[in-house]
Amino acid sequence: MTDLFPPFLVYVIGALILPFLPKGTPRGILTLIIPVIGALLIWQLPQGMHGQVTLAGWELTLLRVDKLAVIFGLIFSLAAFLAMLYAWHVRDQVQQVSALLYAGAAIGAVFCGDLISLFIFWEGTAIASVFLIWARKTEGAYHTGMRYLIVQISSGVILLGGVALLYHETGSTAFEAMTLGSLSTWAIFIAFGIKCAFPLLHNWLQDAYPAATVTGTVVLSAFTTKLAVYALARGFPGTELLIYIGAVMTLFPIFYAVIENDLRRVLAYSLNNQLGFMVVGVGIGTELSLNGTAAHAFAHILYKALLFMSVGAVLFRTGTAKGSELGGLYKTMPLTMIFCVVGAASISAFPLFSGFVTKSLILSGAAHEGHYIVWGILLFASAGVFHHSGIKIPYFAFFAHDSGLRPKEAPKHMLLAMGITAFICIAVGVYPDPLYALLPYEVEYVPYTTTHVITQLQLLFFSALAFTVLMRTGIYPPELKSVNLDTDWSYRRLLPALIGRLVSGFTGLWLFAEGFIERKREKIVATLYRSHGPEGRMARVWPTGSMVLSIAIILGATLVVNFI
Amino acid sequence: MVHDAKNNTDPETLPWLGRKLLFLDNMKNVDRIVYGLYAFCAVLLLTDLFYYKKTYFTIEDLPGFYGIYGFVMCAALVICARGMRIFLMRDENYYAPKDVESEPYPEDGLDRETVND
Repeated sequence: MTDLFPPFLVYVIGALILPFLPKGTPRGILTLIIPVIGALLIWQLPQGMHGQVTLAGWELTLLRVDKLAVIFGLIFSLAAFLAMLYAWHVRDQVQQVSALLYAGAAIGAVFCGDLISLFIFWEGTAIASVFLIWARKTEGAYHTGMRYLIVQISSGVILLGGVALLYHETGSTAFEAMTLGSLSTWAIFIAFGIKCAFPLLHNWLQDAYPAATVTGTVVLSAFTTKLAVYALARGFPGTELLIYIGAVMTLFPIFYAVIENDLRRVLAYSLNNQLGFMVVGVGIGTELSLNGTAAHAFAHILYKALLFMSVGAVLFRTGTAKGSELGGLYKTMPLTMIFCVVGAASISAFPLFSGFVTKSLILSGAAHEGHYIVWGILLFASAGVFHHSGIKIPYFAFFAHDSGLRPKEAPKHMLLAMGITAFICIAVGVYPDPLYALLPYEVEYVPYTTTHVITQLQLLFFSALAFTVLMRTGIYPPELKSVNLDTDWSYRRLLPALIGRLVSGFTGLWLFAEGFIERKREKIVATLYRSHGPEGRMARVWPTGSMVLSIAIILGATLVVNFI
Repeated sequence: MVHDAKNNTDPETLPWLGRKLLFLDNMKNVDRIVYGLYAFCAVLLLTDLFYYKKTYFTIEDLPGFYGIYGFVMCAALVICARGMRIFLMRDENYYAPKDVESEPYPEDGLDRETVND
């Protein structure tokens, strides 16, 4: 069938075998082995186009191997392994199977060389991942999952529409760099944008991710959005519009993150903000900035998973991830706290942590090209992300006021998963060369310069100073049990309300029309009763008499018609 | 140490690392950390005068630019966000029952254990 074995098939085979294994350790081991085999396969793939297959008359390319695809394939494998380790205790086979299929679909999408197979994997990620939300098995999770699925499937449908138009225009379905212009490329761009959580198209992310299970959110955080970043880097590098979209993306979620109470939703907002950095990198489109996007995606998947893992461990032990309910957990969950702080330091780009050596590639990319305002926004967003992810998450979960909760430390497998992830976050920060070697282009970048270290420390410590001052003066908004309106309000409240109005309007019109017809009918019946009823004029004569009258009227009418 | 009597705060029940970190319960120590932060910020600001700063934009040459920018923007961020609450904040049950925010997390997905267990 194909000349090489596509890595995604390992995941599919694993997902098929899993239900036949005994519950517990054997299934757990399988979920850990699959990503390792997948990663080994990816590592050995030769560069070039492979895996050509024919499906329903279409030539599909399942394996387009280059450095951009390989780095995403590898980090997806690593993320799958760590998430599976974190989920070692899970006995729900639906979650295990869907996580494997989800990771497999994402890896499949990264390697495909044509837009039709991209569409198949694109929808595959949507369908497989929704079960991680439904696995919570509550009414709220069911509805949230439905909303998530509708958005994700819509993205796929728009993608398919774009691909069909593109084929009509160019006669090709190859997945190559495109320029925005025709309807087809715009449709593909929007489809990527939905999955990438562009501003105004973003809210599915903050809605759905905190609704998944403890482990499901860790899995979700790695794949969908980074697949979209990959697709943008492949399809639209150097598209100037992306610089501005990305800049807005880095900006507005941080405001929401400050006032959000659910810490997993705070992380979803900061995930959105981090995607913005990657999108800016794609938009600038230079070798430096595209390297930055790939490197930042790599680092981001790890520290974001680490943060979701630590907050998930708190949720697992206490039953809540809300800032208003938590606090003081450092005493009983000190290791989880330390791992959380490592994740926080990495996302905040502290020197010696992964974010420092990856985010700066994008900021330097922006500065090199003279994007003054964008650079300023990214700098603000960097300070802001430290503020809400770097300080707020560890502070409200583990310090702040003592909630009185005394949960036990996270289970060993969770600590191990967090420990490995934290180790890689620091290793990448301390010694970035192996990561730089994986990047799509040659790197001549030195992250550790005096200027860079000192300016970054200034930015971060003065942000911390602002937090401290605002906290001590009582200006910092307290964590409150609440929800905040975001764009999802438009389709969760506004649209249903409008449809409700429309329906009640039409119902009123219908009832009025029905009443009108009813009244007319009654009138006709009453008139007929008057003329033909027992007391009626027509009842006074024999039926022959009334028949003669009728014929006379018809004859008269015929005469009149003839005359005319 | 300031301990809340209603909670099981017997240090013996805490993990080793948790016991070592208990000094954070003392407000005096927290104050010390905060003063340490003030001092470190002051040092960082002064450092700007003593090295060659490689910059892309002229605004970066301003001594202490990064510190001032970080502080001002973060303060502005928090104050704006606080203002946003007036318009955007709703009750936790606003979207109920079609939302997880109003539901407790199902117990079968949790493993609640306390240090006393």
